[in-house]
Amino acid sequence: MRAYPYPRLAGAVTARVTAVRLRGSGDSREKLDSKAYSVVEQVVALGMAERDDWQTARLALTATVPAREIETKGHWSDLAVVAVLTEGATNARTVARLAPDAEGGRDWVGEIEFDRDHHLDRASLTVHVVATVDGIEGRIIGSTDQEWMVDMSADAPLRDRRLDVSTVSFTRGAEWLRSFRDAPWVVDTSGRLPTVHLNSDFEGLVALVEGQGSKVESVVGEMLLAQMCADVWTAVFHTAVGDLEIEDDGTPLFPPDWRGAVLREMLPDIVPGRSDEDALREVYIRRIGEGSWASLQPRIQYAAARRAEVPQALAGTVRDIERLDQETQA
Amino acid sequence: MTSRPEHLPERLALISDVQAAQYISAGLLEGRENVPSIALNKAAEVLPGDDARLRLHRVRDLIDEALLRFGSGRPTVADAWLAPRLHETLRLTRREAAEKRLWTYLALGVAPDYVVWRHLSEPKADGSRGRVARDKFVGPHYKQAFARLWWAAELFRDGPDYRPVVAACGNQDMLNSALRLDIVDHRPTALALVGLMERGVVRTGRDVNALTPAVNAAAATLMYDVIAPDSERDGDPMRDWIDGAESALPSLRGELPDGPDEQRVPAEAVRILAAHFEELFAEAPVRGRTSDDDR
Repeated sequence: MRAYPYPRLAGAVTARVTAVRLRGSGDSREKLDSKAYSVVEQVVALGMAERDDWQTARLALTATVPAREIETKGHWSDLAVVAVLTEGATNARTVARLAPDAEGGRDWVGEIEFDRDHHLDRASLTVHVVATVDGIEGRIIGSTDQEWMVDMSADAPLRDRRLDVSTVSFTRGAEWLRSFRDAPWVVDTSGRLPTVHLNSDFEGLVALVEGQGSKVESVVGEMLLAQMCADVWTAVFHTAVGDLEIEDDGTPLFPPDWRGAVLREMLPDIVPGRSDEDALREVYIRRIGEGSWASLQPRIQYAAARRAEVPQALAGTVRDIERLDQETQA
Repeated sequence: MTSRPEHLPERLALISDVQAAQYISAGLLEGRENVPSIALNKAAEVLPGDDARLRLHRVRDLIDEALLRFGSGRPTVADAWLAPRLHETLRLTRREAAEKRLWTYLALGVAPDYVVWRHLSEPKADGSRGRVARDKFVGPHYKQAFARLWWAAELFRDGPDYRPVVAACGNQDMLNSALRLDIVDHRPTALALVGLMERGVVRTGRDVNALTPAVNAAAATLMYDVIAPDSERDGDPMRDWIDGAESALPSLRGELPDGPDEQRVPAEAVRILAAHFEELFAEAPVRGRTSDDDR
């Protein structure tokens, strides 16, 4: 918990997207279906647009602030509610002020507009309540706990991202893959999103993974997928930890992209019972050789296997094999 | 010293970290080896289309000119000259500039000689060779040799006016420390920081290294966007500027070029923040600043 030298809101600030409009060249306009944004997931999927050549997007927002607390406590004046849309990859920052829906009410409404060219992948949207406190203007007195994600190309409003799997021939594909020609798959974490390259030269592998074959094949295929996912989580974790940005005082920072999301997801299983920041510092210290890096490995494997649901997949496989055995005996 | 690539194709290309890794040898990082340009270009993915912005020689000409002008002097001086001109030559959207593979290709495929010349450290006292940090070839946007210049130009320009970029790049500490902080994504904040440098309120690297963390820390509780609002953004001038690349003259010589004709940053917003930052700086601990130097 952070300490602030001025009074802040105890009540929650929440925000929701209520409409999405896109504008393209030649003034073409499109209003997205409400399926393109999810209040539960807090995600907007702009890939659901009919046309992908839109230039600007306009999100209608409603924010709810603890109006009664503001009124009764009376610490704050010049109240402003602002929506901030940022994306680390493009250093983009767009700000819009919301206006009270009704005088003294809890809801503040407004619109935030941004350019497609200013974003790469996923932007995050936060709402802050700002006020003058103790004579100091512009204090942030409260913010939304969970940010909205605005995904520029996703075709479903889901927070978790699906694994990107590409099937390529390792002997004929990109040059660097050739040295892996005997491997069934390789995890590439260097891109914008981690990708699994499946080796199409490996006979029968693609059919196995796509689960189009016999019962036995689909049983094995599922196990294989879980194993592949575990590989991805492990690789991504190591990539993220190996590439941390360090503050001048030695504090490691969470990366702004998916690497940061992966770390936050896995750290509670790797260093249990600590805050995300403390856990990251612990892992970083071990990585640079102060403390044991080796002893952390089982925990990394555990966290990766849990995320990839390896135990469930394995239990399912064992059960299915038993069933198949019974069928063949009967 | 690493030399100009023998093979320079017509168009710019992309190369991923994984592919790049095999060309970033210890010899290259020590400036002893060249990049095998034919092999590299085989592995690289050429950018499609016939967009004038993607013609390789436009960038290479600029690099040659920079080497001609600054080659015999202190390499850091070249940043302030190259940053606005690189930005004006490439005319990228931020979405395009977020493509790391393009920057990696520029460093390895277009101008490895420049990267080595600009970033090779002095030989150490024990006689071991100087080295170029690996992240000058494949690093994040605030470290990579060309990405850092492009982003400095993008974040510190005042609409079409690149003069604040020249000022920001004139101080390596400003360039290195401010660029990695999110606060410079707010244009009035970026210009207020440069303003303090130009007015001589902050002068040395130590001053800058005291100022930027103080401003950054204050941003955790203060909303600069509310105290000093920026003007609303309009994407059209940028699109027009990009469309004009075909007919644009090379920005090699003479005057500072113009950037996209976007709205300028409101002067009042910059003034408010500069005054605020000056107060923060007066209270910030500066290494080596004794009470005698204090105003």
